[in-house]
Formats: sequence, C-alpha cells, structure tokens
Amino acid sequence: MSLAFSSASHHTAVRLRLGLLKTGAVHSSLTTLPTACCGGWPPPAGSTLPCMVSKSQRFLSTSPCLRAAGNDSESPKFVPPSKPVIVDKTQTVASLRKFLSPEFIPPRQRIDPLKFSIERKDMIRRRKVLNIPEFYVGSILAVIMADPNASGKSNRFVGICIQRGGKGLGATFVLRNIINNQGVEICYELYSPRIQKIEVLKLEKRLDDNLMYLRDALPEYSTVDPEMKPVPFSPTGEVTVNKIKVRMRPKPWSKRWERPKFNIQGIRFDLSLTPEQMEHAQKWAQPWLEYDMLKEYDTSKLEEQIIKEVQQEMSK
Amino acid sequence: MAAWSCRFLLLRGTRVIPPRATAERPALLVGCIRTVKTTTWFEENLTEDNQEYMRKSTAEEYRRQTAEKLNPLKDEPWPRHEWTEGSRRVGLVAVKLGMVPVWTKTGERHVVTMLQVQDCHIIKYLSKEEYDGHSAALIVGGKNVSPFHRSENQMEVFRNAGVPPKQKVTAFKVSDSAIIKPGTPLYAAHFRPGQYVDVTGKSIGKGFQGVMKRWGFKGQPATHGQTKTHRRPGASGPGGDPAKVFKGKKMPGQMGNTYITAYGLKIWRVNTKYNVLYVNGSVPGHKNCLLKVRDTVLPSRSSTLLNPPFPTYFTEEDGDLDEDLYDEDLFVHTEPSLTLT
Repeated sequence: MSLAFSSASHHTAVRLRLGLLKTGAVHSSLTTLPTACCGGWPPPAGSTLPCMVSKSQRFLSTSPCLRAAGNDSESPKFVPPSKPVIVDKTQTVASLRKFLSPEFIPPRQRIDPLKFSIERKDMIRRRKVLNIPEFYVGSILAVIMADPNASGKSNRFVGICIQRGGKGLGATFVLRNIINNQGVEICYELYSPRIQKIEVLKLEKRLDDNLMYLRDALPEYSTVDPEMKPVPFSPTGEVTVNKIKVRMRPKPWSKRWERPKFNIQGIRFDLSLTPEQMEHAQKWAQPWLEYDMLKEYDTSKLEEQIIKEVQQEMSK
Repeated sequence: MAAWSCRFLLLRGTRVIPPRATAERPALLVGCIRTVKTTTWFEENLTEDNQEYMRKSTAEEYRRQTAEKLNPLKDEPWPRHEWTEGSRRVGLVAVKLGMVPVWTKTGERHVVTMLQVQDCHIIKYLSKEEYDGHSAALIVGGKNVSPFHRSENQMEVFRNAGVPPKQKVTAFKVSDSAIIKPGTPLYAAHFRPGQYVDVTGKSIGKGFQGVMKRWGFKGQPATHGQTKTHRRPGASGPGGDPAKVFKGKKMPGQMGNTYITAYGLKIWRVNTKYNVLYVNGSVPGHKNCLLKVRDTVLPSRSSTLLNPPFPTYFTEEDGDLDEDLYDEDLFVHTEPSLTLT
C-alpha cells in the first residue's frame, strides 16, 4: 500500500485533525505535518512548540493500532515503515544565548568570596520560585507587584527599563513610562518577595547602558502602551540593538549629557547643540582613563565560573 | 621577632658621650635612641624546603587541634548547669563579612550584617578572684593566625589550651554556672534567631578630625563677610562667671579607631553550615574586622532569651540543626511570592 506523501499530505492532515483516520494513508511526512496542521499562526523560526511534538506523537501512536485493526480486513502483507525519530536539530543547548544577569558578578572589593557565594545561593533559591527573565536596558517589561493599597492587592506596571543597578540580592531595575502626560519611574528590586511576575514584552538593547537621558527627551520616546502585546523573540542568536537616536527637549537638561563621562551614543546632539558647544564639552574628557591599568577589572573567568555554577544549580 | 634596645645619651659639658665610657664626673641624661638589636622573621635563617615544611606542619597542626576537641571521649567537659534568669553566658568572636537585604513576611525590607564565626575557641578560664573580684571571666579567641609572628608568652597560653594562635583574644564576664573548659570550640548556633545581641568592634579610624565632622557642629556661613571662619567651633563656653572651659568640651581630635558597642541588634537568621549570623542593621568596624558578639544587656529585650543553648552549643550533644535557622517573621526565598491581603 503506497503511502500518500506531500501531494496528499495536506488533506490527510486535515482528515487526521478531524479525527477521521483512514488506514494506510496516515503516514504523511512528519516534516510537513507541523506546518500543515498548525495553519495560520506561523511559529517563530527554529523553535519547536510542545504542541507540535505531541500532535505528531499522537498521530504516531494512533496510527499503528488503527492500522493493526485494518490489517485483517485489507492486505495482510502490509509492513509499516520504520517510525521516523524526531530530532530537533534547530535548537541545541550550545546555540542558546548565554546570559548572566549582571548582579551575579561581584564588584572588585576586598570582600570574602564566601559572602558572595552565600548570597548567590539565596538568589538562586529565589529564581527557582520566581522566573526572572533575561532583559537589558531598553527592553520593555511588565511587572506585577503585591501592593496593600491597590485594588485586588496587586498592580501591574509596564515600562521601558532605563537602568539596572546594584549587585547581589539588592539588585534593582528602573522602569519608565508616561501615564496621562505624567512621567513615572518605578525602581523595583529583582529579589523582593512582593514581585509576583516579571514578563518581557519586548527584548531589545539600546546604544547605551543607561537611559536616564529619556527624562530630558521628548515624551514620545518614553511612552509605552500598557496594553501592549508581547513581541515574540527567539532564545538563540544575538539580541537586536535598537540604534535609535533620541531627540531632546530644549536645554537646560537634568544632566549635561553631552559630556564625555556619560559617553552617550543614543542622542541626536546635532539638533540641540552647536558644534562649538560639543567641542567645549570635550574639555571634560579624560582620555587617560582607558589606559589606566589599575582600573582594569577583567571579569571573564569569574563570569564563566559563575555561569556554570548558576546553570548547575538551576537545573537541579 | 624584633627586639628593641635603648641606648642612653649622656651629656658632659657640650659633648655627647656614649654610656659605656665610665668617668668620675657625673653626666646628665640627654635622651635615648631606640636601636633594633635583633630582627628575624621565621624564614630568614631557614632554607626554602624548611620554610615549606614549617608552613605545612603548622597547617596540619591547626587542623589536628581543631579536630581533636570534637571527640567527646577524649576530654571530659566541665559539668553543665541549667540556664536561670540572671545567668550570663559567654559570647563569640566573629568576622564582619558584609551587608545584605532581607525581607519580612509582610514585605518590609531590612538590612543585615553577616558575621562569620571563624575558629572560635575558649582559651582560658579566670575565676572571680583572678579576674576582678566580681565575676568570673572566660577568655575567648577567634580566627587563626600564623604562629611565626606571635611572642613566646602568647604562644604558651595557646599551647596550654591546645588551640592554634588567634588574632583577637577577649574576655567575657560570665556567671559561675556558665563556665566552659578551655579548648572548647564555639559555633554560630550558640545564638538563635529572634534573639538580641550586642556587637562591639573598633570603629573605622578617621584620624584627627575637625569639630564639624566629629561632633556635627553647624560651622559658619560661607559668605556674608565671614573672615577665615567657616568650619570653626565658635564659642567655647559661658563667659566670665565660670571663666574656664568645662572638661569634656567638644573639640577637634582623634575620631574613630575606638571600641564602640551597638546594642540590641536582632538576629534574623543563623547559617550553621558556614557559621554565619545575620544581625540587624550596621555594626562598627570595616569589612573582615573581628568583633565581640554577646547576649544583650538591655532589660527590655531580655524576654527574648528563653532557653538558650547553655553554656554553649555543643555539636556532639545538642544534635543536628538545619543548615539555616530563620526567624519566624523572615521571608525565606524558597517560599512563593507574597500576596498581601
């Protein structure tokens, strides 16, 4: 009995979905099966969803028994082909993006490493209960926090992350949004027990590590829709960098962002400052800092060690 | 070790003469210069192999000494008594590691200092008559150091107790029912969460400081005609009636590097695996400094100390505790997030 493959696979898949199984023509190629049955919604490239795997498994499991039932009535010499083994090679463990949250890296101080390791154990215990996702400065997050004064005892805040500070259990991140023409910034502690859920609505990076200049930028750059739908992102590959250059309100600003100590790439200075002012700001440059060897802090080995430790503990 | 000697300078007429020259006429003592007679460090006269051997042998000896005392069959500990209302137990010597935040079950955030009890041993027992005539004392030492930079007298004391030499050696006043045999190790489980402690340590030295930093004076304005007076103390007392400056007047001087005690600090958590105490608030001293920790003397907090491990916590006798002991109000990170109602 020939098995219908690609040409007939579509309507065989349809029939399978409706629960009408015809013996014989059940084994459509499994590579086409997922896209056919999942119809209009395109899954993100390179990822397998659990539903796809289980559906194909379901088809696999139902087909032999029905084939066995139909064997007696039809040709007894039917030999089913060997079942294909699904190995999803698009996503290996090695291709997953390695991300170590910056608060795990201890600062360069004369503190006993034992203190950091005890703190890291506590941080991992908290991470096993609350999923703290990977995010960067410039990503858009939604945080649900327990609040005794809010109705329903919890409130949800959506905003763009402008700063990540602190090390260890006291790590914080600041979310900014403009609500009813009022700029609001909330500083959350990552490991506080009042935080019930953190979800990343849009994962992206910006040109700077610190977006405090959004306070002096035009409000359109800080507004985030509170009912925004999450934008899907892949766990492999590089994070997109949003190379947007922000337009500023007229001076005076809260800080002199043009000065080289802030090292800001994401502002359109040409619209707010003259070239003479830019040159004048360069007077505060400290070009010797990049050659200062005493300020060097190489964290690569420490990071590898900590990543390994954290991954081991989280998988337990 | 360096040994200092003193050479006296004698003056006769206008000539400074060395003391060894004997003369009939008496000479005036002008001064003395300190000269270093002998300076040796342990590795100076040893070969490299011997230096290595000395280091290894001391490390092994330390390990042996700390392990020995855990054997209950070897030495009988002194008789144990029950805890009564007025009895005082011994304290510990701890190392200040750093500070971390903790959260309560209602969501409030507090900061705590982590104190690690490293190699704390009882070194000596002084009876009431030997110490001060009022109460007995136990001398406790914390944190092992190398024996090569300790004098022979100090080493003898440690050898009598059978413990490695310690960096900090302090006395704790104890009641007679709470005395412990020298050589017993002390652990962090001596204190329990919910208890209050006093922590004593040497504050960070700021040197000679002016009156504004040292005592918090307001100083004088920066402008409006002030001539050379911006951070000065100003007036020093009433005036003609006392016609003097009272003793204890706040003036510039040495600030810091003195022993300060922080009273009534709550213990939030005890980690028995690493011997770490989580003590509320801040504590005097820099990171990695050694501190004295003892039960509080505050009368309002004495009710929290009921049935403590008396005279101390013994690993062999009192059995195994969990790795982490938490206070009942403390939020443990393995619990789910708070939902306030």
